[in-house]
Amino acid sequence: MDGKKGLGIMRYSSMPERREGPVDPMPKPAGPSEEGGGPRRPETGSPEKDNLLKRMRKVDPKQAERYRQRTGE
Amino acid sequence: MQNRIFGLETEYGLLVHQDRPDHSPTWFVHKLRDHIFHVQRRGVIDLHQRGYDEPPGNGGFLTNAGRIYLDMGHLEYATPECESLADVVASDRAGDRVLQQAIDELGWNDTVSLIKNNIDHETGATFGCHENYLVTRQFPFTMRGLAPLVTFLVTRQIFTGAGRVGSAGIQEAWVQMDRLIVPRSVVGLGRDAGQLPFQISQRADHIVNDFFEWVQQNRAIINTRDEPLADPNQYRRIHLLLGDSNIAEFATALKFGTTGLVLQLIEDGYAPSGLEIDDPVECLQEISHDQDRRWLVRLRSGDTISAIDIQEQFLAAALDHYTGQDEETDWVLAEWETVLRDLRGEHTALVGRVDWASKLWLLETYRESERVGWDDPMLKSLDLEYHNLHPEKSLYHGLIQEGRVPRLTTDSFIESAADHAPRNTRALGRGELVKYLLAGASSQGEDLSAQEEQFVPPYIINWSIFKLRGHPPFPMPDPFKTYVRDVRAHFQRESSDFPLAP
Repeated sequence: MDGKKGLGIMRYSSMPERREGPVDPMPKPAGPSEEGGGPRRPETGSPEKDNLLKRMRKVDPKQAERYRQRTGE
Repeated sequence: MQNRIFGLETEYGLLVHQDRPDHSPTWFVHKLRDHIFHVQRRGVIDLHQRGYDEPPGNGGFLTNAGRIYLDMGHLEYATPECESLADVVASDRAGDRVLQQAIDELGWNDTVSLIKNNIDHETGATFGCHENYLVTRQFPFTMRGLAPLVTFLVTRQIFTGAGRVGSAGIQEAWVQMDRLIVPRSVVGLGRDAGQLPFQISQRADHIVNDFFEWVQQNRAIINTRDEPLADPNQYRRIHLLLGDSNIAEFATALKFGTTGLVLQLIEDGYAPSGLEIDDPVECLQEISHDQDRRWLVRLRSGDTISAIDIQEQFLAAALDHYTGQDEETDWVLAEWETVLRDLRGEHTALVGRVDWASKLWLLETYRESERVGWDDPMLKSLDLEYHNLHPEKSLYHGLIQEGRVPRLTTDSFIESAADHAPRNTRALGRGELVKYLLAGASSQGEDLSAQEEQFVPPYIINWSIFKLRGHPPFPMPDPFKTYVRDVRAHFQRESSDFPLAP
């Protein structure tokens, strides 16, 4: 998160019983940087293009025609 | 965030990669659901009729206390109740993970893709991504009280929109005029945007009312159905269906965070005044369509102001009153400010954080490289591929692999959120129940008549209540309580040897 505080708290890893008991401090999750490749704010300007263009060229040009969805909800 | 429960319901599109498909998309979604519940045993399938269009076997609750089910032919995933932005992001991505893993295990990656978007460019179909925010029953749920929320929602698309190629045609719908409900076209509403190259929102073209109770064909900025899924004397659920399915974790967190703070401003009487929009539905579409991205809004006062200026007024009020409230609030305030500042410049600065900006940059990069116009049909296919759940195909994941996307959670937490409920809401008790039922402990010690066995399902689970056969109903009316001790006691009364989770 670019070194800022905020969304580092996960509630999956401790067990406060809200309104029924004390709330334990939450351990922070491992930062994304510990999983390889830390978060970076996109820099002003264009990201690297070559790999993305390769990925885009692999897309089936007809898939929007094949995507026959119904209205939902 | 302060006293808030969040939830997100996402309908997925299913793409079959065959000229002449062996099976319909509906056949595939049935098989995926069956694999998740009957092979992977990630949850318990409903055995009762939940509603008109939810027969027994249509879906069920998962061990993470969320739901997977079929709705109007779409696979739909609802997150468990979350009390933090971190949890709602992880829980939402957990749904993507569960569904993609089912495709992986079935060996269908060359046959089908799940697309987390909201539109079909060719058929004009739309499907939703519905946000839920728990508020108190004292929330001013009147047209006057909700006016600031309408203004905020119409303009927040500048950072929450997922973007799309083209536009939908005129949407037929019913609208309320005073006490009459009449076809939209009869009163001259709705306009054809013509052929747009790109717009910033997927859902804007499909929203036809400001307030309305119904959903299909009558999507409103604010859905007025009163269904709290909690104690109706204490709570109301604000149910929003105008949002796009966000792929960027940052956009999901900022969408829930800013909307949660605006609800708090309204609750506390601090929302900025004098910002009522002259025609919110038309404005929603005008902002989305604006190719110059000036995003001008006509107010009821006669003034014209930009969507960024409006958002900055909401931000200023939130900064004044909620700075230092908690870590997540401070994160939202800081990023809200940064995004609004960046929106005044080139959209390339927002790549990785704002979905429409990422998608537009990708499409422009492709157009420049391949020298094609906006009418090239490939662009619609690329638009879909941005939303593909498969990490080796998805264009968004391509941006992640290039290191250009700020992550707000980790893969290991998403994996955990796929199996386990958040531990500080009602979801924990429900998740415990689902694990108990999967362990096969519910029928122990039952002394049933033949008629009971035939007609009474062994369990009925809903968001705010469950019932095991032969036992009294177990209500869970407060989403802020975990109920876990009471749920375990309930099991122990039924079975003394069920291996409870530590």
